[in-house]
Amino acid sequence: MARAKLTGTDYTPPDLVAKVTGRARYAEDFRADGMVFMKLLLSPMPHAHVRRIDKSRALAMDGVLAVVTAEDLPESDPLNEPLLASEALYEGQPIAAVVAVDEATAADAVERLQVDLEPLPFALDPIESIKPGGSNARTEGNTIVRKSTDDGVQTVVERIEWPNQLFRDAGEDVLPLGEHQDEWTIGGDVEAALAASELVIDETAYHQSLTHHPLEPRSAMAYWQNGKCTLHCSTQSCQRTHGVAAAAIGIDPADLTLISEFCGGGFGSKIVGTVNMALPAVLSKQVGRPVMHRVSRYEENYFGRARPGMYIRTRIGFSKEGKVKALDIFAIQDNGPYGRQGDLGSVGGVASLAYQPDSMRFRAVSILTNTPPRAPQRAPGGAPISAMLEPIMDRAAKQLGLDRIAIRKLNAPREGAKFGGDLSRNVTTAYTHEAMDQLAALVDWADADRRGGTRSGSKAIGTGFALAPYTAGASGFDGLMVIRPDGKLEIHSGVGNLGTHSFSDTSRVACDVLGLPWEEVEIVWGDTSKHLPWTTVSAGSMTTHSMSRAAHAAATDLMQKLQEIAARDLGGSPEQYEVDGGRVFRRGSASGGLTFAQAAKRAIELGGKYDGHELSENLHAATKVAAAAMAGQGLLGAAKDEYPRNGDVYTFVVGFAEVEVDLETGFLDIKRYAAVTDCGTVMNPRSLGAQLHGGGIQGFGLAASQKWVYDPRWGIPFAHRFYTARPPSILDVPLEMQWGAVDKPDPNNPVGSKGVGEPPLCAGAAALLCAIQNAVGEVDLRRLPIMTDNLLTAIEGLDPEVPVLTTHT
Amino acid sequence: MELFQRASNPWGQEILTHIDWSLFWWALGVGVVFAAIHLFLRRRLRASEPAVVAGDHGGTVVRHTGAARMFHWVMALSMLVLLVTGFLPQVGVQFPWLTLHWVFGFLLIASILFHIVHATFFQSLRNIWISFGDLREWLQEVRHSMGRGPGPARKPGKYPVDHKLYHHAVTLSGFVAMITGVLMMFRIDSPIWPRDPYRFSDSTWGVIYVLHGLGGVVLVTLTFAHIYFAILPEKRWITWSMIHGKIPRKNYLAYHDPERWPSEEGPKEEAPAAAAQPAKAQGG
Amino acid sequence: MAIIHDMMPAFELYQPSDLDGAVQLLDRHGDDAWALAGGLDTMDWFKDRVKRPKVVVDLNGIPELKGVREGADGGLEIGALTSLTDVVSSPQVREKFPMLAEAAATVATPQIRNQGTLGGNLCQDTRCWYYRGGWPCYRAGGNICYADTSSSMNREHCIFGASRCVAVSPSDTATALLALDASMVIAGPRGERVVPAEEFFLGPGIDITRMTVLQPNEVLVAVRIPATFAGARTYFEKARDRQSWDFALASVASAFRMNGDTIAEARIALGAVAPTPLRAKKAEAALRGQRISSQVADAAGNAAVEGARPLRHNGYKVPLMRNLVRRAVRGGPLAGEGQDAAAGG
Repeated sequence: MARAKLTGTDYTPPDLVAKVTGRARYAEDFRADGMVFMKLLLSPMPHAHVRRIDKSRALAMDGVLAVVTAEDLPESDPLNEPLLASEALYEGQPIAAVVAVDEATAADAVERLQVDLEPLPFALDPIESIKPGGSNARTEGNTIVRKSTDDGVQTVVERIEWPNQLFRDAGEDVLPLGEHQDEWTIGGDVEAALAASELVIDETAYHQSLTHHPLEPRSAMAYWQNGKCTLHCSTQSCQRTHGVAAAAIGIDPADLTLISEFCGGGFGSKIVGTVNMALPAVLSKQVGRPVMHRVSRYEENYFGRARPGMYIRTRIGFSKEGKVKALDIFAIQDNGPYGRQGDLGSVGGVASLAYQPDSMRFRAVSILTNTPPRAPQRAPGGAPISAMLEPIMDRAAKQLGLDRIAIRKLNAPREGAKFGGDLSRNVTTAYTHEAMDQLAALVDWADADRRGGTRSGSKAIGTGFALAPYTAGASGFDGLMVIRPDGKLEIHSGVGNLGTHSFSDTSRVACDVLGLPWEEVEIVWGDTSKHLPWTTVSAGSMTTHSMSRAAHAAATDLMQKLQEIAARDLGGSPEQYEVDGGRVFRRGSASGGLTFAQAAKRAIELGGKYDGHELSENLHAATKVAAAAMAGQGLLGAAKDEYPRNGDVYTFVVGFAEVEVDLETGFLDIKRYAAVTDCGTVMNPRSLGAQLHGGGIQGFGLAASQKWVYDPRWGIPFAHRFYTARPPSILDVPLEMQWGAVDKPDPNNPVGSKGVGEPPLCAGAAALLCAIQNAVGEVDLRRLPIMTDNLLTAIEGLDPEVPVLTTHT
Repeated sequence: MELFQRASNPWGQEILTHIDWSLFWWALGVGVVFAAIHLFLRRRLRASEPAVVAGDHGGTVVRHTGAARMFHWVMALSMLVLLVTGFLPQVGVQFPWLTLHWVFGFLLIASILFHIVHATFFQSLRNIWISFGDLREWLQEVRHSMGRGPGPARKPGKYPVDHKLYHHAVTLSGFVAMITGVLMMFRIDSPIWPRDPYRFSDSTWGVIYVLHGLGGVVLVTLTFAHIYFAILPEKRWITWSMIHGKIPRKNYLAYHDPERWPSEEGPKEEAPAAAAQPAKAQGG
Repeated sequence: MAIIHDMMPAFELYQPSDLDGAVQLLDRHGDDAWALAGGLDTMDWFKDRVKRPKVVVDLNGIPELKGVREGADGGLEIGALTSLTDVVSSPQVREKFPMLAEAAATVATPQIRNQGTLGGNLCQDTRCWYYRGGWPCYRAGGNICYADTSSSMNREHCIFGASRCVAVSPSDTATALLALDASMVIAGPRGERVVPAEEFFLGPGIDITRMTVLQPNEVLVAVRIPATFAGARTYFEKARDRQSWDFALASVASAFRMNGDTIAEARIALGAVAPTPLRAKKAEAALRGQRISSQVADAAGNAAVEGARPLRHNGYKVPLMRNLVRRAVRGGPLAGEGQDAAAGG
């Protein structure tokens, strides 16, 4: 087995040339004969009952084929996001759709719809809603709760309200600790632990809601043939989006082909697509022609997704050595109008893992608002809590006279570290100290630490160092691949192609198992008619860990079958055979044996389990369907990942940022950024570097440039274009960026890898905030993002323009 | 022709925003047409006017006291400035008009408050009151001037009915414009009170703006007509009286019924209502 | 309020090849017409269906509107359709008025500067998001300013010169050209007129629906920069949230004619703090005849923000503007320790 492993080397992924040459076809690049276009009417009000929409003037136009409102669609559960709303729950929610021969006509027709809306009270800010007399985002209340009743668990909307006295007692800019929905603890009495702490920091912070802003909006095109629907859409996942899309359209998954070969970014906003992708399919059926819906940037801001905003109050107690003794976190989540978002859970989980407190309490409540629907966004929950607590760790280090890395090392989790409520969970590996040491060496921390906090004229120099963990993998999915009679290995990947190369990175594992050159592999992906196995959603940094395991399992299955076939044909026992270079041969004699092509032909002759006519019982039903369709085409490898996993897989990223803050203008200049990760075995170095830097840059946006702005009287947002929402552009990125990886395998994965999608963002945001704090001292930086105005306001010692407990400014 | 400008508010609901600014031209046009018709009929109208009594009726009669004249000219200046600053920018003549507009608006309000107090306590409100008899006489006068039937048996008091009607039209449109104008001060930054554009709903604001505009355009016509009459040669003795306060005694006798408008210089037999008034107020 | 966005309505497109043709077309179509330069402001309006002209007159095919020429007095004349990239890279501009090149280089992004023109940058409409969102505000012909209420979001709005409307002039090059005492050459149906930069930009007190004196039937032909400040001591700085693709939160452009080491004449223009680019005349007066020092710089900075009236969310613009003017006098940011603060530039 002299062949060098593919895993851990740079390569050109099979989708790359198409992407960089502009030939890649995204959802809106597809055309079909007779294709017509759909445009949406969005609610102009943040909360409104649609009394009537008069379609007659639109329908009377030449070229208008259909106008559809909520009345024309099957009724849906009011707690779920509908295709078209009869009660609009945010400004910008689709309430009608028009299909016309071209987009210009469709847009003109939308303008001709006569809309009669009844405005309803609305809520933009969870704090305003939870106060006595505050508006509810939904008529029935301001929060979604799950209740056990005689009929089982029911999800209902209720009103939660905190008395005024609570706010008065807490004082201005302090989050009251009122009635909550979630609570868990670690260790004993957190109040006692706080009281016994050497140093207690009590802080309330605001973390803004953020649109995901994928470069490709969620356009979709659909057509029907023989009662079967083909849907081109933009989704992070592929195999897992299939069933969700079919359900949204209202058809059997067997009647749907979903095509999504490329996805221009998702960041959590397109995990399994979004409901809007079903509308072209529904309308295509109605008008009998293919329907294209090109979603604009403006619309993407609305029915694309967003990260829930959060108010978090943290009380953290340290021993004089810097150990976190007590951690009390209370968070209010700006949930948007639909299903309860899971970010809160990660807030507590990440905090308990990252700081390993002796005693901890986590409490939270999620409040509905009339703002765009939320979804997980890169490191949901982890991003705000890391961004809040890492600068607090620096302040504690300063007050206790400790080195900034030393205090992190003292508290950071190590292999097997326990965390979560009642310490019921544990991580697998955690090479946090190694990552910190590597980053410290990379950036010459001793020097950087000295530089931080110095001034030169109007420039205040700051350096920041931050550690961020996030979940990085699951298990139990299936791998599916076939060695064809032409000798090629055809890997069927249900992974979505959201730009991280994970769909092909995980496929390379099969090559390593089989000793096969990369050129001998073809990956089939992005089309559900092409027999895709049961796959993880491409979200939560799951794919690389989960699907490398599955690929390993399927490739191992292939190897065993190759050995069996060889033994059967050439004599001896399977164990006497080895596989490499596209052949299976007797150990020690690389010549002879069978080529993969010969083995594939033999597999077809043999049938049964070899060519996929018999399948392992433990495969997922979806994999069985896919494998059955491939049966007889060659030597089939299909296996479920049943490798043991001793704990939760977490990846750790440490980030370093150096900034210059101009004390005269408040301008923040990010001079340098570096990140080092413990993500287990490095699969694809170039792509890993892109993740670490790209995530870091997205974190800069969260920390220092990106936000929503709403007019509170009208409930209408303004930051709905790139230039007003201000995600960082490539020209905002420091010229000097570095990365590194510990590259120690996680033994819970035969490949050793862990995912690395989320924590780069947390490290970027947190390191940057630490650097800003280091530069300007302990000025008021409690409301994100830290931009020119609040920096200069703080530097000049002016009164903040709004209280901390204010949203969307 | 559109009467009003409409817009759709941020929630897509239709609201009124202004009068259609073309109404300014219409208002001016109505004034011009009225003046043209009047000019055309002027000879005939003059023929029906009473002859000024010849002979020994020298001397003058006080028509407007100093205070009344001052009020009139302050008001006139304010009104002109308000109309110019209100309408010219809307029809294409750009200049910084806003401060002038509201400052003169308040000047107008102050002058009118003075006028109300002055007229109520120091003048005879009866002078400006229109009775049914007044209207009957006026119709008779109009018929007479068209050559149909005899003129009214009595001459008017201090103000003929058309003057009184004019006064009330100005009062009505002026009050509409002033009240709405004061409310509109919430829309701008001024030392009067803090800006609060959301004091009323946008549909209410729309009505306020439209009323202000309508008051304005009516005042354009009325002001135009007023100036037109003021510069007619045969009316100049009235215009002149607004400058030095007096009218020739012969005109007093020719155009007014001294019983209905007793004056110190007039016949000594005073009308009973006027008897109650202090003498000094009688000139008003 | 447009109820659908990102979909341009149809219009009739004219592409005249000479200036007379363009002026005639604009004159013929009056308020229905729209003059198109680089299109970066225009397309936003069209796509949002807020401005809906029936006729678009594309000025890009008129060669005489492009290029940098020597002016009669030794200054420069720059065609209005000259791209910002060409302004930035013009050797003549860089030699005589480097500040203009600096200002043009801070506009948006390289792609936008390639497409955007100097004239377009000067004539662009304000970026007030209420107005651009199609809200029926004063500037849109309505009767309210949504950006100046007790709940408005007005972080980017003005601290000077508000008159009902509180929007700011967004142009970076306008600030520089005002400091350089440039004039605008305007062609209309009745021939050419030349308007000084200070009169070219209109505040809402005069016309709340327009940003400049350009009439619908007029075309900005060129910008004339007199030789007065060629080679003068100049300074430009734009404060913004990001290093690219961001409008100014405040900007300063200054041109000082020096007499030895005293300031003979100072022109300071402030950008993005008022509805027009604004001369800081009090600061200019405070500088005349002074030798440059950090005390003089501080005094000028303080004078520049005298009378500022911040709104709910833009109080930070007062110290920001003050500090930028201080820098303009000093010639740069406060220098590091051991250096003479006044010797920065």
